Amino acid sequence: MTPPVPPEVLARARARLLGAPAIPVSEPVPPGLPTASDGSSVWLLPPWPDGATPALLEEYDIAPMPLDRPGQARRVLAAALRCCWTRLDDAPWPGEPAPVGDVLEVYVRMSRGDAELARRWATGELRRLHDTGWLLLDEDTATVRTGPRIALWPEGSLGPLRDLVRRLPQPPEPLPHVDAQGGAGEPVEDPGE
Amino acid sequence: MSELFEPLLRSYDEKRRAELVAAYMAVEHAAEPVPEVRFPALREPALRRTLQEMLALTGRTLVRTTAKGGPTRWISAYRDDVAEALAADPACVPPPDERAVLTLILIHSVAIPRAAGLLPDDSWLSPYPTPLDELRRRSQLPIGELEAALRRLRLAGLVSQVKAGPDEQGGFVPGPQFHRLTEAARRRLQEELILAAGPDSPLAAAIRARRHSRARAAAQADARRAEGARTDAGQADAAEKTDRGEIA
Repeated sequence: MTPPVPPEVLARARARLLGAPAIPVSEPVPPGLPTASDGSSVWLLPPWPDGATPALLEEYDIAPMPLDRPGQARRVLAAALRCCWTRLDDAPWPGEPAPVGDVLEVYVRMSRGDAELARRWATGELRRLHDTGWLLLDEDTATVRTGPRIALWPEGSLGPLRDLVRRLPQPPEPLPHVDAQGGAGEPVEDPGE
Repeated sequence: MSELFEPLLRSYDEKRRAELVAAYMAVEHAAEPVPEVRFPALREPALRRTLQEMLALTGRTLVRTTAKGGPTRWISAYRDDVAEALAADPACVPPPDERAVLTLILIHSVAIPRAAGLLPDDSWLSPYPTPLDELRRRSQLPIGELEAALRRLRLAGLVSQVKAGPDEQGGFVPGPQFHRLTEAARRRLQEELILAAGPDSPLAAAIRARRHSRARAAAQADARRAEGARTDAGQADAAEKTDRGEIA
């Protein structure tokens, strides 16, 4: 008879299967797994030896797991970084939440062709990037944040990325009539009625 | 940086260590099995044993694939005992509609061509796409749910989409994850496919009978172990009493 699987081994395998799952900060982290936290949740990340990343596959000319539309996925991720990575001197994780509309606008400005179509494609791509842990998409508030997998990017690789993000189109300026001033967007009752 | 592998890597010099790390990342992240000749840590048995131990820390193992006359290649997969434990966890199992769609693709793209002698017996990858129409008709899922299931299966690498060409119909085939099957997992999948595609066939009856007798043997072994544990406890109890001079 084979002995049962050690719980810490099973916990690591489970984290791989679920793909950077989130647990409450109060829960214990399986030993040996790196984590990313935003204060309320902890995400379990893959344990890569010696700071290696899957980018190493390129050196050996080995194809990584395929993506459906890798170019589009990268551009939408870049547009999201432009909006969420606001303090470029810091690390991109955890970043700042940004309106989905801003990310779509940056993406449209980066691409050619039909803007409406580009927005639709990018919306689907945001969902896929959320499913894979590269972004955190909150469809209720229509905001997006950088995802926990981004916490795995080594500091040494961020330099060229910072340069690239700086060169991308800017997100649109916030509109001047902000609700904080007194509910500009709310229906106003007519005092005369 | 992860400290998980440090006890295994500590004793190696920088070069060997880098070779182990490269092979680890390659087998864990490649789309297809990687050639042994490219990675010293796959080629040399002593290093390969350490690589196997690194993978075991996360419930993974090495799988060797050798095409006829081709070079030896390796990829990683879940260890069988780990896969079994994960399959018992509802959070780790895909929902029924995804499993149904994947089963239809395996029947259409693998079982049928295999039965016709168009595919070798041990391959789970197939050049014969299952058309979307076929999936829609057979799955009886609303199109929205079918597309959502296909999206998640594609993201997981369980299904790949094949674009329609001038002469071929497009559709869906088993994805790159089907490279990542241990010998036992292949056998189990083969049996499941027979049970799904021909539940009333003699082969399916044989599989059910074998599983039944295996389950009975396991239950008997469990019972024997429990009995053994009781006996051990009894003996320990008696030994303790002897030590204390209660049984003279």
